[in-house]
Amino acid sequence: MAQKKNSNRAFVLTAVIGSLLTMAMVTANSVWASRQTGVATNEAVSAVSSFYLEAMADRRAKTITNLINSSFDQMEKAIAYIADEGVDSQEALRDAIGKMESLLGLNRFALVDEDNIVYTQYTTYTGGSRHAFLSEGEITGRIISTVSLYGSSKQLCLTSPTPGLSILNRPFKACFVQLDIKDIVDLLAFDDQGRTHFALYSKKGGNLSGTELGPVISNRNLFDATQAFVPQQVLQEKRDNFENEREGSLSFASDGMDETLVYVPIQGTGWEMAVLIRESIIQEQIRDISEKTLANSRNQIIFTSVSVLTLAVVLLFQYRKLSRDKLKAERETSRAFQAMANTDSLTGIRNKHAYAENEAIINRQIQSGALEKLAVVIGDINGLKYVNDTLGHAAGDQLIKDASEMICHAFSHGAVFRIGGDEFVILLQGKGFDTMDEVIGALNRQVEANIKENKVVVALGYALLTPQDRQLSDVFERADNMMYERKKALKEMGAKTRVS
Amino acid sequence: MRKRVNRIRLFLALLMMAFIFAVRSNSISVAVSEGGLSEAAPDASVRSAVNFDHKLDSYAPLKDRYNFYFTYKTVHPWWDAVALGMEEAQRQYLEKGIIITYEYMAPDAASAEDQIRRLLTAADKGYDVIGVDVADEAVISPVLDELVDSGLKIMTFSSSDAVEGCKRLAYVGNTHNYQDGADLTEALCQKLDYRGKVAILVGSVGAPCHEDRARGAKDTIAKYGDMEIVATEYDMDSVDMAYELTLKILEDCPDLDGIVCCNMSNPVGAARAITEKGSSAVIVGMDHDEDALRYLNDGVIYCLGVQDCYSIGFDTLQIAVKLADGNLPGELFHEKTDQITTVIYQNDAALMLELLYGEM
Repeated sequence: MAQKKNSNRAFVLTAVIGSLLTMAMVTANSVWASRQTGVATNEAVSAVSSFYLEAMADRRAKTITNLINSSFDQMEKAIAYIADEGVDSQEALRDAIGKMESLLGLNRFALVDEDNIVYTQYTTYTGGSRHAFLSEGEITGRIISTVSLYGSSKQLCLTSPTPGLSILNRPFKACFVQLDIKDIVDLLAFDDQGRTHFALYSKKGGNLSGTELGPVISNRNLFDATQAFVPQQVLQEKRDNFENEREGSLSFASDGMDETLVYVPIQGTGWEMAVLIRESIIQEQIRDISEKTLANSRNQIIFTSVSVLTLAVVLLFQYRKLSRDKLKAERETSRAFQAMANTDSLTGIRNKHAYAENEAIINRQIQSGALEKLAVVIGDINGLKYVNDTLGHAAGDQLIKDASEMICHAFSHGAVFRIGGDEFVILLQGKGFDTMDEVIGALNRQVEANIKENKVVVALGYALLTPQDRQLSDVFERADNMMYERKKALKEMGAKTRVS
Repeated sequence: MRKRVNRIRLFLALLMMAFIFAVRSNSISVAVSEGGLSEAAPDASVRSAVNFDHKLDSYAPLKDRYNFYFTYKTVHPWWDAVALGMEEAQRQYLEKGIIITYEYMAPDAASAEDQIRRLLTAADKGYDVIGVDVADEAVISPVLDELVDSGLKIMTFSSSDAVEGCKRLAYVGNTHNYQDGADLTEALCQKLDYRGKVAILVGSVGAPCHEDRARGAKDTIAKYGDMEIVATEYDMDSVDMAYELTLKILEDCPDLDGIVCCNMSNPVGAARAITEKGSSAVIVGMDHDEDALRYLNDGVIYCLGVQDCYSIGFDTLQIAVKLADGNLPGELFHEKTDQITTVIYQNDAALMLELLYGEM
């Protein structure tokens, strides 16, 4: 029993400690994982922002490249149209140029004759000093250049040769359009709530687009604006990249804010497209997400812990209840088995095994002197053999039951045992002991009356515990002897016996 | 009482601010726009040297289409800047539904004869107004008179007007070339401590603006006994010629102390030669050629007088429209519309480069 109790305690202890350890491990693991996530997130921010910016810069650079290619294509269409139009006056030429401007969306479309005279929709002017590409003499291929409109906006000038073009009997050598960089910027701009900034730069880092590349650089020269935050060697490397139309990135910190910009060259223009993002913005957003995730994790941990604890408590109570039920069932089974072992199946009273157990207990009490009053009554059924032999075992059994009932009824304050086929033992203590004489006297009278009525006859013998008795059998033996004497007397009164 | 104390505090604060401003501005004075060079606080003077912020005045043109002809001395970036001012005015008229077409033509090298030929050709083409940047006042002025007499509407523009008394209707541009030459030369003399040998480079022979500046320079130098003019040469608005002339002057006078440059090509050629020869001659000059501004930024040129070409172009077109409608100088516009010239120094060069050329 004690061993079983110890096992249960160990089991519960193991379960509780195991649960706590598991919860602790889950919590620690979650905290560690979240911290690792935070560190990894910060490391990833730079990589992600660079990647993100590079993609943005690439996309915008391609947009400009597409615009340039599209403009060149449109210029070729315009030239083909004007060549076929049969222009016969300067006014007609201006009209044709204007028509092409509006039809093909060509901004400041112009033709240049062999004397460097420029023809636009509204103006004709000598342009040798105004357009740098005209200083190169013969124009053999497409030229992309940047022009500054004397303090106004800057423009991207796309020049295309016009071999064989002759208008008003004058050879024309080129045509060009001038795209306002502000329009290009409008094309590139999109609303990202000010999270990113972009600007176009010249090879020397001059801001061409007029857009602000974040609050630190603003619209200043890129290298002038960042020289205070970037080592000279790094800055020189970036200058070289701009000069040689290479892509790259630049990170710097200003007022505790990390800024990263990525620049990519725009093919053929000599420009660099730079896109900048404040890493803190990404970090703040990721931090918000992380904090939400952490809060969720915390809630989950708390929820899981509470759930586990509740489950553990419920299981513990269940286990306890099950254990009790099991114990109770075992006890009941044990009692049933014990009852079965100690009960006479025919009469339902205690049997010889029960008597043996009681005998052992009483013997210890006798030997310890704890028992003072005890009487042993022995009852033996007369004529059982005769009934069995003549009326059958069923009648014999009924006789035993009747005898048992009579004895039990008489010795209602005693312990009745059937210790043999026709033999009963009654142990009397307390009230049973005190009323023993009256009970035995009444029962004997009833037995004697039963002889005449051919009913149950039981021979009773009894003996009292004496100080000399060392064990119950000593008392039993005297009672048994008395019972035999009574049996003889009853035979003489006409009762049937075993032999008769 | 408290109000009085506050007023005293305000007065003292204003006084303090004025004192700080005065100290920071050093000896620079506010720009003077009428009739002379101006000096102002570095940033402000540079930004106000060229006014890009123009709006058409309230005059309502009578027609919805005009056609003009303009001719100027020579193909040169200075006149390209004038052209940009014209184009802005043209754009603003277009927004109002008024189409202005024009030709804006010049020879590759300044030539009075070429200018006459262009004017006579234009005279037969029915332009509403013909504008001229006079290449040689003595030669061109009579031609202009003839054209006016024939019923054409003639105006002059940029930095060179015709001779006094010419019948041209109006002039838009620099009216203080003599003073510009004098002021630049004064700055040079001050720099040289009023002693030394000075050469004068002029642009085209007979070009009024160049000649006037040269006169201003000569008169200024004449005021100082320890200063001497060792050479006066004409580069015909050619940088290469200015360079060659300067080399020759330096050869003849190796201890040259200064050069006064009267047009846009002079200072570029002179600075190139000075740099090449390692001379310490101080250069003062006119205009805002990009190379000149870079020499200024590098300290090779001491100072430059920058004219507001953009405003000249803008106003020229506005007045041409008024003239085409039959208006004459008076309430609507002056016979001479003046534009400012601002002297800038080394500290101003970077900002001027940024403003004009975008520092690309």
